[in-house]
Amino acid sequence: MTVTFQLNGEDCRFDGDPMTPLVDILRQERFLTGTKAVCREGFCGACTVHVDDEAVPSCLKPVGLVHGCAVTTIEGMSSGNQALHPLQVNFEAADAVQCGMCFPGMVMSLSAFVRDNPHASRPEIKAAMVGNICRCTGYERIVDAVAECLDQARKAGQLVGGIHV
Amino acid sequence: MATSVGRLFTAASTIEEAMAARRQGAAVLAGGTWMMRDPRRGVDLPEAVVALHRIPALSKVEIGSDHVVIGAAVTHAVLGRELHGAAGFEGLVAAAEGAANPGIRRVATVGGNLCALDFAAADLAPVLLVCEATVELETFKGPKLLGISDFLKDRHTLLAEAIVTRIHLRRDLVASAHIRLPLRKAGDYPVAIVALGVDKDKRCRIAVGSVEPVARRWTALEQAMRAGPASALDPERAAELALEHNDFQGRDGKEAEGWYRRQVLPPLVKRGVAALLKTGGLA
Repeated sequence: MTVTFQLNGEDCRFDGDPMTPLVDILRQERFLTGTKAVCREGFCGACTVHVDDEAVPSCLKPVGLVHGCAVTTIEGMSSGNQALHPLQVNFEAADAVQCGMCFPGMVMSLSAFVRDNPHASRPEIKAAMVGNICRCTGYERIVDAVAECLDQARKAGQLVGGIHV
Repeated sequence: MATSVGRLFTAASTIEEAMAARRQGAAVLAGGTWMMRDPRRGVDLPEAVVALHRIPALSKVEIGSDHVVIGAAVTHAVLGRELHGAAGFEGLVAAAEGAANPGIRRVATVGGNLCALDFAAADLAPVLLVCEATVELETFKGPKLLGISDFLKDRHTLLAEAIVTRIHLRRDLVASAHIRLPLRKAGDYPVAIVALGVDKDKRCRIAVGSVEPVARRWTALEQAMRAGPASALDPERAAELALEHNDFQGRDGKEAEGWYRRQVLPPLVKRGVAALLKTGGLA
């Protein structure tokens, strides 16, 4: 079966088993290894990508279900000399990244969250992170960075990922 | 990576197309969050699947003045959003917004939650029991309506030749609650789930999930609460009655042993009645 979809803004075609997990296409066929295959059960969040702007686990998404959809991976958030996403800037500034295994998933989950929840409270940020497990347990600094990102955007009246704050 | 390139994959755009694929032996694929873990359980993925996500009629929540109809392909996230603020459905919203984690809730569907045959900890099942939901099926012989209790009991047989299409709910509850006990804040299957609802006559409906293999109404407790005065809608008294009428056989599992699942029910009932009183303004 042939499955076609947009991958980081470009046409992508896959010929093969439509029940192949999307994460395997990304990593093994397209060499987009920023998306991590860790638990493969939807618990850890390391494989999170955006499908039609929604943050979802790619380990449980059969590629057949993304036919005609737009998929964005961590590589699509910023590349080359482009500016980083504001959330990535804040993670870097807060030195929030530790081993890096969970981080692509954290960025994908939380970038959608800040876009949709510009006035989120700290408990709401934490609730949005429950599906992203950090084995280094550096959660508080991540929450700090998200809160700071939202705060900056509010003060500047800026866009965070396309939605006016 | 799965290697079968000969697998049949149908993205049905109508219920008729989906049924045609079912007649050919295709398994139903909803959000995929249960089926895609089959290989981890040592089960091969089906050789033929039919996906329901492109059937518009199955992806809608219709809210009327006296009833609600939920399409089987509606995700937990959409269900929580659509019913947010609807009086009487607080428990259903809590179940939809509290299951699994946010990423799973954006994908996992109502129909998938009810049709995962070996999934004892489905969050929606107990609260739909409390709502006395009616399950609409499309069978090889035509449409069929069935009470949720009967559906849950007989679904192994029923789903061999049917697809769940919609869930019908009456709007006859004043307030409802969904209390779950995971071992951690999120990411665990709940040890036990207690769903409660109360109608305008203060009659309480209670259902329990995750304790036994299949969710069921707690009729012994409902009857005990009805036998008492209206003040039975008191958290402490409800917990005492729950202890006295605990007729559950707890299942042993990875998260907890059966005795523990059974033992936590009275405090969960207490929390649930307190939530009902708060939500429904019945205190």
